[in-house]
Amino acid sequence: MAQAREVLRRIKSVKNTRKITRTMELIATSKLKRAMDRMVAARPYSDALGELLRSLRAPGLEQDHPLLRQPAETKRAAVLLLTANRGFCGAFNANLIREARLKLEELEAAGVETELHIAGKKGLTFFRFRGRAVASSTIEIGDAPTPEDAEDLIASVRDKFESGDLDAVYLVSARFRSAMSTPPRTQLVLPVEPKEGARSVDAFLVSPPPVKLVGRILPRYLTSVVYRALVENAAGEQGARRAAMKSATDNAGEMIDTLTRSYNRARQAQITQEIAEIVGGAAALE
Amino acid sequence: MARAMELRVVTPAQVVFEGTARSLVAPAWDGLVGILPGHAPFLTLLGSGRLQIDSGSEARQSFALSGGVMKVEDNEVTVLADSVEAS
Repeated sequence: MAQAREVLRRIKSVKNTRKITRTMELIATSKLKRAMDRMVAARPYSDALGELLRSLRAPGLEQDHPLLRQPAETKRAAVLLLTANRGFCGAFNANLIREARLKLEELEAAGVETELHIAGKKGLTFFRFRGRAVASSTIEIGDAPTPEDAEDLIASVRDKFESGDLDAVYLVSARFRSAMSTPPRTQLVLPVEPKEGARSVDAFLVSPPPVKLVGRILPRYLTSVVYRALVENAAGEQGARRAAMKSATDNAGEMIDTLTRSYNRARQAQITQEIAEIVGGAAALE
Repeated sequence: MARAMELRVVTPAQVVFEGTARSLVAPAWDGLVGILPGHAPFLTLLGSGRLQIDSGSEARQSFALSGGVMKVEDNEVTVLADSVEAS
């Protein structure tokens, strides 16, 4: 009976694991719902602000606003990497980290000095383990990022860009294509790129004058871009976790089926052997 | 002249108000501004203070607002506020 009991014990252990992964799947599903709501709620503000900024855009504004400065060549660049604080979400963090590493390598190959800023424990642990200098990091941002989190994250980088210490800032975060697909992406957040196509505000009564107004809108726009990336990342994390935990639960189920089958076989073998022994014993007596 | 205008009050995290309004008073950076339907295109920076909305049917709604921008165009008002609290 020794082998059968062994299999029984494994079945029990896999069942326990399945219970855990199923629970995590359920939790991720409900968190995903809320994270997606936040993502949708963040859209109107940043869309409206972006459009406003585009329509205020006029040639010559670069002189007055350091955030619009388009450096002729990039000497120093910052990469801002957003990852999750927790694992168990498939390749989500690994994808983001790889994207950031590729970007850093690409920049360094082009002779650009780089600095790395990280939000999220997973990214931080990785780069710290690799012995890379990390300019700043936070692991304080939870499942529900706030606009203040975004502001804290971007403030130091923004100041450095304004003072000319940085020539470009890239943001590496996950795109939320669907709950199943959350590929990493790199955005250039600074300098703020000129976009065309918006109507001008010549007909508007503008107070204070556009030059001053743009100066007030720019930092807000930047924060909203980062905030959107944060909420999208949080939703992506939950989506990836749900997918990972779903496949773990399915795998555990399959494993239990296989193990049950081999338990039954072992038990049957045992019975067959016992009968054979009894029959053999009876035959010997005759 | 239109009797009402479309109003949207939006913060970075959510849409606080969306609907029609008959008038509103907003705290601009240099003092209060009142907006009535049919206002000329207008763009202003907001300071902090009370945002009052008269939506006609219900009682006058009031919010505490801090910082942001307001855009008035084609009888549509968009308030992009840094933060808004009901008050």
